[in-house]
Amino acid sequence: MITRLIAFARGLLRRRQIDDEIAEEMRDHLEREIELHRSQGASLDEARRMALRDLGGLTQTIEATRDIRATWFDSFGRDLKYAARVLQRSPRFTATALALLILGTGSATAILSVAYAVLVRPLSYPNADRLVFLTEKDGAGVAWPNFEDWRARATSFDGLAGSLADAMIMTSSDTPRRFESRSVTSSFFRVLGVAPLRGRLFDDADARPDAPPTVVVSHAFWTRELGQRREAIGQPISFSGKPFQVIGVLPPDFRFMTPAGVYRLLEPQVAANYRGMQSRNTRTNFYIVGRVRSGISLAAAKLEMETIHAALALGTSASAKDWAIQFSTLAERIVGNMAATLAVLAGAVTLLLLITCVNLAGLLLTRSAARADEFRIRAAIGGSRWHLIRQLLVEQGVLVSLGGVFGAVAGALILYGLIRVAPRDLPRLDEIHLDFTLMSGITILSCLIAFVFGVVPVIRMSSAADQGLIARSGRSTTRSGVWLRSGLMIGEVALATVLLSGSGLMVHTMLRLARTSPGFDPQNVQSVMFSLQGAAWPDEKKQTFYPAIVERLRAVPGVEDAAITYSLPILGSNWWNVFMIGGTTAEHWTAVGEFPNAGMVPVTAGYFEMLKIPLLKGRYFDGSETPASPPVAIINSRLAKRYWPNGDAIGKQIQQGYGNAPYGPWRTIVGVVGDIKQEGVDREVSQQVFLPAVQQPRTTMFAVARTRGPVASAAIEAAIHDLDRTIPVFNDRTIEQVMSEASSRRRVAMVVLTVFGGVALLLAAIGVYGVIAQGVAERRREIGVRMALGATGAQVIGLFLRHGLVVIAVGIPIGVAAALVAVRSLKSLVFGIGVTDPATLGAVGVVLVCVALVASYLPARSAARTDPLNALRAE
Amino acid sequence: MKKSSLLQGTLDLLLLRILELGPNHGWGISQRLQQMSKDGLKTSQGSLYPALHRLELRGEVKSEMTPSDNNRRARMYTITAAGRKRLNKETQTWNAFALSMGRVLGTNE
Repeated sequence: MITRLIAFARGLLRRRQIDDEIAEEMRDHLEREIELHRSQGASLDEARRMALRDLGGLTQTIEATRDIRATWFDSFGRDLKYAARVLQRSPRFTATALALLILGTGSATAILSVAYAVLVRPLSYPNADRLVFLTEKDGAGVAWPNFEDWRARATSFDGLAGSLADAMIMTSSDTPRRFESRSVTSSFFRVLGVAPLRGRLFDDADARPDAPPTVVVSHAFWTRELGQRREAIGQPISFSGKPFQVIGVLPPDFRFMTPAGVYRLLEPQVAANYRGMQSRNTRTNFYIVGRVRSGISLAAAKLEMETIHAALALGTSASAKDWAIQFSTLAERIVGNMAATLAVLAGAVTLLLLITCVNLAGLLLTRSAARADEFRIRAAIGGSRWHLIRQLLVEQGVLVSLGGVFGAVAGALILYGLIRVAPRDLPRLDEIHLDFTLMSGITILSCLIAFVFGVVPVIRMSSAADQGLIARSGRSTTRSGVWLRSGLMIGEVALATVLLSGSGLMVHTMLRLARTSPGFDPQNVQSVMFSLQGAAWPDEKKQTFYPAIVERLRAVPGVEDAAITYSLPILGSNWWNVFMIGGTTAEHWTAVGEFPNAGMVPVTAGYFEMLKIPLLKGRYFDGSETPASPPVAIINSRLAKRYWPNGDAIGKQIQQGYGNAPYGPWRTIVGVVGDIKQEGVDREVSQQVFLPAVQQPRTTMFAVARTRGPVASAAIEAAIHDLDRTIPVFNDRTIEQVMSEASSRRRVAMVVLTVFGGVALLLAAIGVYGVIAQGVAERRREIGVRMALGATGAQVIGLFLRHGLVVIAVGIPIGVAAALVAVRSLKSLVFGIGVTDPATLGAVGVVLVCVALVASYLPARSAARTDPLNALRAE
Repeated sequence: MKKSSLLQGTLDLLLLRILELGPNHGWGISQRLQQMSKDGLKTSQGSLYPALHRLELRGEVKSEMTPSDNNRRARMYTITAAGRKRLNKETQTWNAFALSMGRVLGTNE
């Protein structure tokens, strides 16, 4: 056995050498033979002739000897060579099949890899399926006292932990730098089940009021800022002038919601009433994660939390509506609304893969039919069926492996491109890579399709061939083949309808969005954020500093106008609060069921003029507002209509907070301005109250400038630094960028759906064309006879068009019905139209009918141009 | 041994027998065969070499390219243990067969 293996291996590796050796052996034999004859007295020529005769044909002997050495590998090589020749001989078929395979497997691998990484692969925490996410109504965040009550009462959890995303200013270096950070309760890492890479993570002792301030840093922070020095652990870093001891480093793959470089404890901050968190009325972006005890179902844990929360609500005066609790798995929360988009893309790419497979199947089927004669003849002259099948398998194997290899390359390229253009808020972006299992699965699927549609018909054919063989060659396809192919085409048209409906809806949505006015002029508006943090910035200093910044910004070359705001339009309201209306009581609003509420936006004078937000009544802030002047406010039109439907809002009084828990002074409404899309172009206009920033200073604000053409954000940053070098300036972007980012999810969905829809349409057209053209080719003689008997061209066209019409008439309704179900997944993406928008779906239907008609008409017309004489003679 | 391959098997047997006497190259084997059979058996060279290579693939013979006189190289064949085993076994089979044939044909004295 081993000697055979060695001989086999030698055969593989040293074929050329073996050939040479055989030749040498023969030459040696010949020469010895010649010498023998010569020694017996023959002349040289005579001896040579005799020797050659004895050897019985040198070449044949060499061939015969080589054949002994030939293994299955050699015959496989022969098959391979033949396959390459066959594929080369029909370049159009080969190119089409390869293109289909590459397109189908490539795009499917890329998009499904993304979907898998984001949606399916478990989060990287131990037992991540036990982790849940808790927040109060509308995801607005949890009041700290509520969290403490939850934690005291809930029994379903191994632990509850809270955290909020914030920022810290590192003051260890000369220029202060801002880092994304997260304030967490001491139980946070324990609940998530994270182990430190170096040092240790927080424990309860660190949260005691007398404990020294500590931070845990991310691996990225440790690498970039601390040079991965082990000694850095235990050393202090200064944040906002206060030293924090670095106690540990997180593992490189740790991530939780938004990325953060520094983690600090929340308890000491709450003790200092950070963000007013001691109040039960304060909702900041404080969210809870919990690890559900094993053995307790998520549903039971949810029920317990709802019960606890309802009991808490009873003890307060607020309406029940404000006291809802949201309970979801952490995975659901992290993936969030991206799930819908990805599900749509994954669905679309699956449809596309199906279409390419169907098309490939049709292609192979047509080809098998076209080669039927070749196979029959080969069978008739003694080619074994096994040999035929092996040959076909090799042919299709070559095709599929080429397609697979290039498909993988295409997949990697598409994936790379996708990651480049992916929305920045795509969760788990860094976890995405080309998934080998998926790729193999998809390639195996293509192989199966190739086998079923490429080889199976031939097996059937060759078994049928035992009977009638060559005699039947005149009519090479069976009716069942035609029906199978028509069925495939109907499926393809239906699938294309579904995909095109999706892309139609997205295109329509994007058009709607582009036509939706945001209520202000978003062109050439540059913004940066800046932070006046810490003891160095008491409110009085901020109040005088805001006008100074505006003045300085207006002096920057290229800047037309500037202002400061607490909430950038489109980006959402950063501060939401309830308010009281002068002359009404808390009981009144409790009875109504909802307190007046609005986004509170401190702005500097000139904000509305700069953004070109129209004044509807009263006046803009005019710069006369000072910390000491009477408190005033401007409201938006929507708020005015809601609470003063008679149009008499000017002069009325409002005050933030509940009746018994007011925040700030009573303010007089001095103006009503036009509505702007504060929460996003695709969102409802929200109720807004604008306050003079000098009367309501905030720590972190947006400096906004309208520029003539593009002005580098660096110039704006430099202008602020001219006033004070220690102010951190960050997050520069234009409002147009904000708008573009806000619609990036939709744009990706639209681009992918439109590209896929277009490809699907093209494939369907090619498919329909192919089936009809094949029919025409097969019935050439029949057409000849018909025309010879007087059929007109129109009648012949009708004959074939009918076939196309059947495909259209069956395929498109099936497609529309499927689309009506499938487009429901687009619900969160579609804007301004219904997901079953009749105009869009109707247009898609019309496009498909037209394309399918043209695709059937072209081959039908060529049939009508058949010269009956030629057609008959061709037989 | 299947009957259809009896002839082939016979040649294998002869080649193994000759190689049992000592390593030899193709030409030598054919000369030896003629000589030993007193010119009664002569293989065609066209079947000699394929047979030798087949024996090698079956592991009953091994070969090596060895230099021979006047700058040529010749393939030297050597019988292996497996070859000897087969030779023994098939010599017995052959003898039994020949004996039976002789009895039936009545050529035995």
